[in-house]
Amino acid sequence: MEKEAVKTLKSAKTLNTAREAGYFGKKMLMGAIKAQEEGRMIGWSMVTWWQGDFIAKALGIHLVYPENYGAFCASVRKAEPYLELADSEGFPNTLCGYARNCLGFAKSLKDNDYVIPEGAPGGGLAKPAVMIASGTACDARYKWFQSLGRYLDDVPVWTLELPQPGVKEYFLEGNKEKNVQFVVKELREFVSFLENLTQKKMDYDKLSEMLDQAFKTLRLAHEVDLLRKAVPSPMVSQDFWSVMLPHLYLPDDPEAYAFYQRVYEEVKHKVDNKIGAIPNEKYRVMFSELPPWHSVGFFDELAQRFGIAMVIESWNYHAPTPMPEEEIGGISDPLEIIARLTYHKGREHNHVAREFDTSPGYFNAAYLQWAQDYRADGLIAHPLMSCRPATYTLMETRNRLEEKLKVPGVIVPGDIVDLRVFNIDEGFSKVEAFIETMDHYRELRKQAGMAW
Amino acid sequence: MDANKKGLAKANEIYNSRGAYAREVKKQGKRVFGYFCCYPPIELLSALDIVPVRILGDMDEPITLADNCLPPVMCIFCRSAFDIGMKGQYDYFDGFVGAHACDGAERTSFIWSNYIKSPCNFHLDIPHTTHNSAVDFFKEQIEYFKAELEKSAGEEIKPEALRKAISDHNHQRALVRQLYELRKPDPPLLTGTEMLKILIAIMGMSVAEGNLLLTEVIGEVKTRENVQEKKRRLMIWGSLIDNAVFTELIESSGLNIVIEDTAIGTRPFWHDIVETEDPLQGVAEHYLKEVLCPRTFRDSGSNYAQDSDSRFGYLRDFAKYWKVDGVFANIIRNCDVHGYEAPVVKDYLTDLGLPVIMIEQDYSTTSLASLRTRFQAFAETIGS
Repeated sequence: MEKEAVKTLKSAKTLNTAREAGYFGKKMLMGAIKAQEEGRMIGWSMVTWWQGDFIAKALGIHLVYPENYGAFCASVRKAEPYLELADSEGFPNTLCGYARNCLGFAKSLKDNDYVIPEGAPGGGLAKPAVMIASGTACDARYKWFQSLGRYLDDVPVWTLELPQPGVKEYFLEGNKEKNVQFVVKELREFVSFLENLTQKKMDYDKLSEMLDQAFKTLRLAHEVDLLRKAVPSPMVSQDFWSVMLPHLYLPDDPEAYAFYQRVYEEVKHKVDNKIGAIPNEKYRVMFSELPPWHSVGFFDELAQRFGIAMVIESWNYHAPTPMPEEEIGGISDPLEIIARLTYHKGREHNHVAREFDTSPGYFNAAYLQWAQDYRADGLIAHPLMSCRPATYTLMETRNRLEEKLKVPGVIVPGDIVDLRVFNIDEGFSKVEAFIETMDHYRELRKQAGMAW
Repeated sequence: MDANKKGLAKANEIYNSRGAYAREVKKQGKRVFGYFCCYPPIELLSALDIVPVRILGDMDEPITLADNCLPPVMCIFCRSAFDIGMKGQYDYFDGFVGAHACDGAERTSFIWSNYIKSPCNFHLDIPHTTHNSAVDFFKEQIEYFKAELEKSAGEEIKPEALRKAISDHNHQRALVRQLYELRKPDPPLLTGTEMLKILIAIMGMSVAEGNLLLTEVIGEVKTRENVQEKKRRLMIWGSLIDNAVFTELIESSGLNIVIEDTAIGTRPFWHDIVETEDPLQGVAEHYLKEVLCPRTFRDSGSNYAQDSDSRFGYLRDFAKYWKVDGVFANIIRNCDVHGYEAPVVKDYLTDLGLPVIMIEQDYSTTSLASLRTRFQAFAETIGS
């Protein structure tokens, strides 16, 4: 009874291209099923910010992404049975929702002799030959795959390393280069591990070609971000959360590049003709962290009720700013290029963090930069009950935005997967009250002579 | 502080007033640095005659000031530590050493540096694996830490000073292991509560003072008889316990705590640092490979059974040599690294025939009372 009372909302999205983006999710899931039927090797991978993906794919491993699968199960409201299964296995219900969804699914897979159970959302995930974990961003992203050994008994796990220095330490002489070279060494070990597993030799020419394609896609995705600085906002978060999938998971796929060309054209057309994504943009608001996938329509409602355009969001999942030429120029080793790309993504805003005396760029510095670039009136911070590490610095982000830039924030708790912990009506009430706060701070910025 | 107190009485006094003790140490002209978790190599601090103080939380103190910076869904221990830091309980620090031990420790370290300013801050990045290149990288990061410490202290850490500090801390590890030996008899000569107080006391003292205290305690405990009655023998695995109220509750529920695989237990003390030609090599190897917190991913085994045996075989040995009757898997709510591990550890220990009680708790003394019945029931179960 309680579950039926929970309201969920899908977003209508504002871009035509955003409505097409689901194709890539289906392509990934169906591709894995096909790969299994054809006897090709399947890998489960964390989002690695491209650190492991190209290497695995170049060796013929078809990757699927259990984090993305968690989001998918949540969006079609099929996650709860897996969450409950994970709970019954003894995993604390405070763990990551994506992980619990996956642990529950893996348990059901094992119980069905590794044949995907009928009715699994999106066709399910086929048993992998390898799991690629990541030390980046949160502990769940390697502990989860390690604990999957309970269900995927003989599947090896590789954990990719990526340093996370503090801001001061990042700028210590020579440290950045030591960080990068550590990643390069680790990637060489990773290649050896996969070569041994697949009994294939790495084709470095192929890897370089994939990288070339990926850089083009990422560049284009970043240029779409730049277009979004326009007022009124030509594209909103509800669109981004659909279009992010191809650049995050498939940037080496020419179809992803072609898709981004269409996204770019559509957004550019709107900018050139001053067409806002929402009809009556009154407030420009940033969003941090991941959204409640089961209720993305919440943001459509905010647009309708309050004229809120969600102008920029979820820093982690954006294409990186282009790397400076002095950092990448002349480097031909594809492993070093990958290392630099991924390392750069996580630290691209460290100079902002240093300027504002705050936590490293991969936490709140991006929002301090974006608030200025995107002329933001406020921040909606979304603490995730089951993706807690993403949440730990949200309050500092809110505090720093208010202190340094007179941009206020509101906390609207929820979850990426578990719709039971998102109170949508309470969310609307909080945002309604937040409107007055944004008006007040807009006045303060004006008095302070700030640019927006 | 009463200068006449020795051994267990002194440990108890320091446990009860860590801040007062640290402030007295400062009055004597020494510098005091706070550090998070088991991973910062405190040998470097000792080599500069800096007193390392392990940052702990306070289960008795309601969290208030931390609420503005750290969300409630975060590791409650980290929130508590930061909260009492914001309340000035660590205002005697001359430096703060943060560490990327786990998500909670990493984020709290950053936020601590931003909100609670110390004359010297350093954030130690720690790799997640024990790969050879990870050890090399970790050593490089320790070298940066050393350089920053030297800059702050205005003096170089001489190799011989570092070697002596390593030797002194290895001696401390050996003394702690001697204490663990005194818990092998049935009943143990030392209670879990006493052990906790001793370990917390030495984690706020100079290594020399700590070793002196340990030597006194060992001498005192060896001569004791009938300290406690025979009860079911309990091993604790998991998140740390830093408040004696918790261990007292367990030990008054029909259980004797005989060994703790926690961050205020065996983990910082079980292995010595190998004294290598380049001392930092041994330091890096030790902290990354031999401090057995589940925050580090260890490649081991080609299947679940092998992996479990490789990663948790030491628990089997602990259980065997300390004649353990049952295990308390303690998880501070929102502690992910132990949360993911818990069912796996439980599988492993259950297969060994060891009963396991797994409890997620809220790191608050006010919520402990409700656990008494569970421990009592567990003690009765494993006694049957």
